[in-house]
Parts: sequence; C-alpha cells; structure tokens
Amino acid sequence: MTRDEDLDRLAAEHVLGVLEGAEASQATELLAADPGFAAAVARWRERLAELDETAAPAPPSPELWRRIEADLAPAPAVQAPAFAAAPAIVPDPFNAFRALWRSLAFWRLAGMASAAAALILGVALAYVASDRARTPVLVAVLLTEGSAEPAAVVNAFADGRTELVPLRTIAVPPDRALEIWTLWDRAVGPRSIGLLDQARSVRLNLENLPKPGPNQLFEITLEPKTGSPTGRPTGPILMKGLTSTAL
Amino acid sequence: MIGLGIDAVSALGPSVPMNASVETLASPPADLVGALRRCALGDRAGLRTIYDAEGPRMVGVALRIVRRQALAEEAVHDAFVQIWERAASFDPNRGHARSWLYAVVRHRALNILRGEARTDLVEDFEPMGLTSPEDDPEAIVSRLSDAGALRRCLEGLAPARRRLIVLAYVHGLSHGELAGRLGMPLGTVKSWVRRSLLSLRECLA
Repeated sequence: MTRDEDLDRLAAEHVLGVLEGAEASQATELLAADPGFAAAVARWRERLAELDETAAPAPPSPELWRRIEADLAPAPAVQAPAFAAAPAIVPDPFNAFRALWRSLAFWRLAGMASAAAALILGVALAYVASDRARTPVLVAVLLTEGSAEPAAVVNAFADGRTELVPLRTIAVPPDRALEIWTLWDRAVGPRSIGLLDQARSVRLNLENLPKPGPNQLFEITLEPKTGSPTGRPTGPILMKGLTSTAL
Repeated sequence: MIGLGIDAVSALGPSVPMNASVETLASPPADLVGALRRCALGDRAGLRTIYDAEGPRMVGVALRIVRRQALAEEAVHDAFVQIWERAASFDPNRGHARSWLYAVVRHRALNILRGEARTDLVEDFEPMGLTSPEDDPEAIVSRLSDAGALRRCLEGLAPARRRLIVLAYVHGLSHGELAGRLGMPLGTVKSWVRRSLLSLRECLA
C-alpha cells in the first residue's frame, strides 16, 4: 500500500470514527499538521455526510442556547485568513460599517494593532537603550505547522534567561492547554518546559536542563489542561522551530 | 446533503456551496456559509442562525452516539463553543459548511463517548447497541435519499459490511467495539472496514 493510500485509509477511518489508540492520535496530529491529510478528511466528510441527515431531530432543552451563549468567548480568535480570499458580501455599506463598528473582533484587532505598535516602539526604545548583554544569544522562530508562518519567537540570553514571545493568538479549547517542549538530544527525547492556557509571553524555566545550544528544537503542542498524560507530546504540533545563534 | 449535490459539486469544482438537504428543501435552506462568516466577525446572530437551523438535528446526531439527551446536549454545547472559536478557520473551498459543522458535533460526541462517560454508557447498551428500530442500519440506509449516490453505493456492499459501516458512523463504534458487538475477530473487522471504504470511495467517485 502506498503512503497516499495509507493516509487516505486513515482519513476515511478517522471520519468513520473507528480509530483507537495510537492510530487515533496519529490522525489527530496529521489533521493539524498535514494539509494533504486534512483535505482527504474533508473529502471523506463530504462522502459520508448524508448519514447525518438520517438522524431524527431531537429538540434541545430551552436552556441549551443560554448555556452556549454564556460560554462564548467575547469574540473568536481572528487568525485564519480563509475568508479573506472569498468575495465579501456587503449588501449595504452602512450596515457593513455598523457591523464593523459593533464588532468586538474589529475593536480587538484595532486594540491589538495599537498595542502592537506600542510594543514595537517600546521594544525599539529598549533595544536602543540596552547594552549588548540584553541581546539574545540564540533565537528560534517557531513556525505554524502546515502554513509555516511565524507564530512565536524563543529568545535565549547570555545570562541563561529564556523567553517565549508569541506573535499570533491561538484558539485554545476550554479543556486544553498549550504545552511547550524542547528537544536538544534525540536520545533524551522532548522535555516539557511549561503549560500555558493561552498564547502569551513567558519566561521559560530551563534551569534543570542543559544550557540551550544552536539547532535545539522548541515546539508547542495542544494537550489536556493538566499537560500531556504521557510526559511526551501527544496532541497536534501547533508550531515549532530550531534555535540559531544571533550575530 | 443529497448525493446528487455531492456529485454535482465534485463535477463543478468545490466553489459552489450547496446546503440543500432532503429535509430542508421545502423551506429555504439557511445560509450556513454566511452564518459562519458572521461568526468569524464576532457576530453572535450568525451562531444563532446555525443553532436554529441545525440544533435539533445536531442533538439527534449526538444522541445516536452518546445515547442520553443530557450528554447529547453537552456535545452540542461544546460543539457550538468550538464552532464560534474556529469559524474563521472554515474554508468554503474545502467542503460544505454543513459537513464541517456536523464533523465538529460528531467529534465532540465521540470524545464524550470514548473518554469522560465511557463506563457510564456501557450499561445502557443492549447487546447490539440498538435500542430502537430506527437505529437499525437497514432502516438508516432506507432513509437516505433515493436519488443519492451514498444510498446506491451502500446498497452495493454486502449486507454485513453495510451494517458495519453504518453502525460505525452512526453510533460511533470503534474497530474494537464493532468486533465485540458483532462477535467478530478484530482483524476481520479491520479488513472489512478497510475494503468497504475502498469500494465506497470507488463507487462515489
């Protein structure tokens, strides 16, 4: 069986819902990391979707909508540009403007943009003011899986300080957390260095690990809220990158 | 999704979203793509449109998997929270909004079935996991559209294999659960599932 055939089989069985154990987690990982696999999954969903139509509708209890609404984030994470390519439907400029004006996402973006501008200014000022000791000795740019866009930066400084700076928001389901891993030696395997509820800048505690070196892998995976149950990454890889020596 | 729609889409290319279904042809189908786009912009009315149009059927789909109204509603609750958070990642060029939405519901229901409430649920199953005549695989296939390719292709499978595929999809049974439920060796279940899916893919092409 070729690799493509094997992946299509896995995609089909994932959609059918029969996978267990290692194959089930492999499918979840591939779905996040491999666009070809995700496309195969989408095709299988289309093939079998009509079976959902055969379910008898079961009216939800009246409070279900209230419970859903109570748990909605103020606005969804604005990150994937899938809709950017689609033609915008703007029937009425005034309504569109009003929708934009009322849209939390817009204000959040605007807020984030000004915050980002302030941050860049602050960083630039700090950089100018700082001496060489404040320049990182190692930098890793973590790229998203699949689309390979910069998603976070890891900076390691001469004094041993290491920090993670996210560059984009990540939608983290309520029962999940982001787990940060590093790998410096394949024989040792990846080590967890922290758990985050959302993408935010943090100092990484590498005290019990060897001093970071070039070509050390940093990655973030999606794991259960209390961290990977196995001590190794189990969820999909969201982003990863290797350290390089700063000039 | 009527089978005809699936054929038409693959022939015309994926840029023509069709949300028509057997049941909603009578009333104008909700614009699910537009509703998801509104969700992506932070407009809750978009989510409510999806809830009104699909909520009851979604609870029905989850109910066939988790078997209890309260758990089915929990699955739908979680699914809507995820739909809201991930609406921006829906790509209309990849497939229909409806298939995407139901995939989220099924995924949540399967997680509940496999994880949190597993031991609880086992006691509820009859030996075959079929508690009502509507749940019988043949009855389910008979509710698929007459004109649709999926029905024709499922009916092209040997009855025992058709049963396996429908039980797996509709009730969320895993390889191991199918083997246990049907008293078949695990290896046989796996190879039957694999070959049935290959025949389906060929037939639906």
